[in-house]
Amino acid sequence: MSTAVLQRVSLGRVLRAEIADELRGIVREPTALFFSILMPVGFFALFVSIFGDLTDGTMPAGTRMVATFGTFGVLAATMLNPGIGIAQDREIGWLRAKRVSAVPVLITLLCKVVAALCYAIAMLVAMAVTAGLTGSLEATAGQLLRLAVVLLLGAAPFALLGIAIGLQAGSNATAAILNAVLMPSAVVSGLWMPLEILPDFFGHIAQFLPTYHLSQLAIAQLDGGPVLGHALVMLGSTAALAAAAALSYRHARP
Amino acid sequence: MTKVLEVAGVEHRFGDTVALDDLALDVAAGECVALLGPNGAGKTTLVNLAVGMLVRQRGTVLVGGADPRWASTRRQLGVVQQTLGFPKVLTVRELITGAAVRGGKPRSSAAPIMAELDLTKLADRRARKLSGGQQQRVQLAMALVAEPRLLILDEPTVGLDMPARRKFWEIIARRRAAGVGVLVTTHLIEETAAVADRVVVLNHGRVVTSGSPTELVARFPDRTVLARTAVPERRLAELPGVLSVRREDALVRLATREPEELLRVLLAEDPALSGLRVEGTGLAEAVLAFTGGSARPNAEVRA
Repeated sequence: MSTAVLQRVSLGRVLRAEIADELRGIVREPTALFFSILMPVGFFALFVSIFGDLTDGTMPAGTRMVATFGTFGVLAATMLNPGIGIAQDREIGWLRAKRVSAVPVLITLLCKVVAALCYAIAMLVAMAVTAGLTGSLEATAGQLLRLAVVLLLGAAPFALLGIAIGLQAGSNATAAILNAVLMPSAVVSGLWMPLEILPDFFGHIAQFLPTYHLSQLAIAQLDGGPVLGHALVMLGSTAALAAAAALSYRHARP
Repeated sequence: MTKVLEVAGVEHRFGDTVALDDLALDVAAGECVALLGPNGAGKTTLVNLAVGMLVRQRGTVLVGGADPRWASTRRQLGVVQQTLGFPKVLTVRELITGAAVRGGKPRSSAAPIMAELDLTKLADRRARKLSGGQQQRVQLAMALVAEPRLLILDEPTVGLDMPARRKFWEIIARRRAAGVGVLVTTHLIEETAAVADRVVVLNHGRVVTSGSPTELVARFPDRTVLARTAVPERRLAELPGVLSVRREDALVRLATREPEELLRVLLAEDPALSGLRVEGTGLAEAVLAFTGGSARPNAEVRA
């Protein structure tokens, strides 16, 4: 077996071990599920039961909400979980222990995001099932699969923002900062309520927010709307936040 | 002998502050080198460079002949930090097997090290339920499980009781016998004297002196006379052969190179003298002196 193959095998083992450790945290601390899964799904169920049957002519609101609430839920999981987790690990010295180990710290950070994606997938499934049970889901399995893939890939810049903050701030401050970014962005981008029923200026501000463009990409998987402009904004956001995360890592306290 | 840590010509600055200045140091296989010095001497910066946490600005830092900034180089490294919290939901077994996997070893390598460190019974206990001493043992197990060539120990025995310390250093001694080099930083200087082959004293980012603990102490011919006396400090300072006077409550500490003569005079001055004791210079006093403390090294030897 060549050295390269040996290294690949080793990397696979490391990835499995790191992701397993992260997932153990989820399973053994079920209270975290409340904020990451139950709360978004609960709100989704509430809104779907009220507005789910309304339609804009293309699809029922309940189906659209799988995209918009799904965007919110995926972002909550992928931004908050890795960000706060990194801050906590840094506070107790665990991140330093990882950084002085033989595993590149990038792998550690990546595994935190991958574990958060598991939350996100569980939440999307729960939302789709809820919408289905209320009779407001009109989407094929292929559309839902594309929607999930878009949201999981589109979560990258937000995960990077979480990492950037988590590498600098304490865990409480990280939670506060990220929530302060996510919640208003979610409302203004129409993730909780359709922009059509909100004041016009919300729609103007939304154009500048990656949260809005990700939700539009998600909706496009259901109604076949345009994607290019939204995708470009997401790519730009990813590049900018990757640079911010790299800068934050470089200046993180040892 | 093979060097497992080589540091040469290292200069490191934080803004205008010089943390390390033309520093050179090496650790051979099987050798235990203690890094001593006051806070701000540069110990932490040096350790951070050696474990790859800091980007080198000038000079050379090599672990096993390679740059510790590379993750693959750090397979040769085991680190014990002064304080390390573990993710509270993970068990002892999971922590140690995780360290084994990260170090490129099979998961099965965790069992023997847990046995060696008396952790087998705690294997399924979660980190949140471990005492401070148990956590320190887990950390040592994690540092050793990947069979490193260099151990970097940062205040490793803080929080351990005496039997646990003895056990800790026994385990380190076994690794040294197998060729593992050790770099230790600690404030427990007398403990260092018992375990280190060589002491390197840092101050203001430079190596002030180095040598075996015995050599460093031998550079100080001073003795300390301790006694309880009512004689005022000012008068004590005037006594023949007294180099310095320090009062600790009722006890006075008189540094001298002629203890016999001083004792005679002291008894004449204060017949009610009590608690009389004569001590040699310890490593702690020697280090203090080398870094600008109160004791003074023999000028001839120092030169």
